[in-house]
Amino acid sequence: MSEQMAGWVVAALALYTAVGVVFAIPFVVRGVNRLDPVARESSWGFRVAIFPGAVAFWPLLLKRWLSGQTAPGERNAHRNAARLTR
Amino acid sequence: MSLNYQAVLWNRQKKIYDGLIVLGVVLYLGMFVGVGSLVRPQTTIETLLIRGFGTLALALLHVILSIGPLCRLDRRFLPLLYNRRHLGVTMFLCGLFHGVFAIVQFHALGNVNPLVSVLSSNTDLSSLSAFPFQPLGLAALGILFLMAATSHDFWLANLGAPIWKSLHMLVYVAYGLLVLHVVLGVLQAETNSVLTLILAVGFVWIVSLHLLAGFGEIAGDRELTAAGSDRFIRACAVDEIREKRARIVCLAGERVAIFRYDGKVSAVSNVCQHQNGPLGEGKIVDGCITCPWHGYQYAPESGASPPPFTEKVPTFNVRVKAGEVWIDPHPNPPGTRTEPAPIEGDASNG
Repeated sequence: MSEQMAGWVVAALALYTAVGVVFAIPFVVRGVNRLDPVARESSWGFRVAIFPGAVAFWPLLLKRWLSGQTAPGERNAHRNAARLTR
Repeated sequence: MSLNYQAVLWNRQKKIYDGLIVLGVVLYLGMFVGVGSLVRPQTTIETLLIRGFGTLALALLHVILSIGPLCRLDRRFLPLLYNRRHLGVTMFLCGLFHGVFAIVQFHALGNVNPLVSVLSSNTDLSSLSAFPFQPLGLAALGILFLMAATSHDFWLANLGAPIWKSLHMLVYVAYGLLVLHVVLGVLQAETNSVLTLILAVGFVWIVSLHLLAGFGEIAGDRELTAAGSDRFIRACAVDEIREKRARIVCLAGERVAIFRYDGKVSAVSNVCQHQNGPLGEGKIVDGCITCPWHGYQYAPESGASPPPFTEKVPTFNVRVKAGEVWIDPHPNPPGTRTEPAPIEGDASNG
């Protein structure tokens, strides 16, 4: 990879991470409670533990937070078949 | 199982497991640096630490990749599976220390951004000795970061088990990248063939173990089919199921666990709601099906976790006729109570 292209890749990664950090702080404090009700009574240790993942997956979490979506339901062949036949 | 999230749900086993991990890491690094400085006194402590953390991360990755197939082949390895994610996070941290120390030592002393230097220092794809092996390690570290960052159960619930599992299956991509990182990196400068031999043995071990476990799984994954006009399908003989254990069959596109207990038979989907663990490889403890991976529990009649827990798996209607178990191939919605089929002539029945 040329130095110029490597520079662009690193800059893009840095920008993505910086936005992720800015997003993750309010997310682990408040947003996570709305996304997953189980998180409401959860410890600060848990909020610290999910911080790196919130930085990495901020576009997905932001979309869910804004749209008010909660955790997706479990899906597999049996669960899908049970939904279809009942 | 928990009603809210904690950073870690500590218990005695986890503390022992983690204590052994920390002890192992400290002992390995101490021995690597100690022996290394005696054998090669010209090598700096920084280089020894870079190599120590790198080899430890790779060794831990081999252990981690071995645990799954070993558990399939022999249930005595299951305790290793219980807290495997802590081993994974430890492996990532070792890889991170290796990467950070290497970047500081080899890429941070010039005018170029160290990460830009990692990505652009070697550019000759046609040369083995000058191949850009550093980006391979960086890519593997990125995958290991995503896995470590999403190792908490919160991510399993919020990404969904299929996506979470797919993400964590990228560990095999990371392993491939790391093998190439070592082969095209340190082994190009190494004159001692012992390292090459160790890496080759490790690779053959991992591939063989997975093939062996995989062939065993394929044999049990033949989908059952109806023998006649009856909606129910013959699954197995009652005698094939040990008390408080299950027989696993494949039905409706997934595995079904048929449990025998207290003179009765019940069937549930084999897929635990937590990490998709194999319920049929567990046993009935205190009246509940108990997942062998992390101890999640379900009532065999309803597939529902005991209150106040809320996990549920689909159930199946079953019959026992003339010593044989017959099963309705249409799953009931998760948590639906079904009548257990009594086993004729079983002394513990009724």
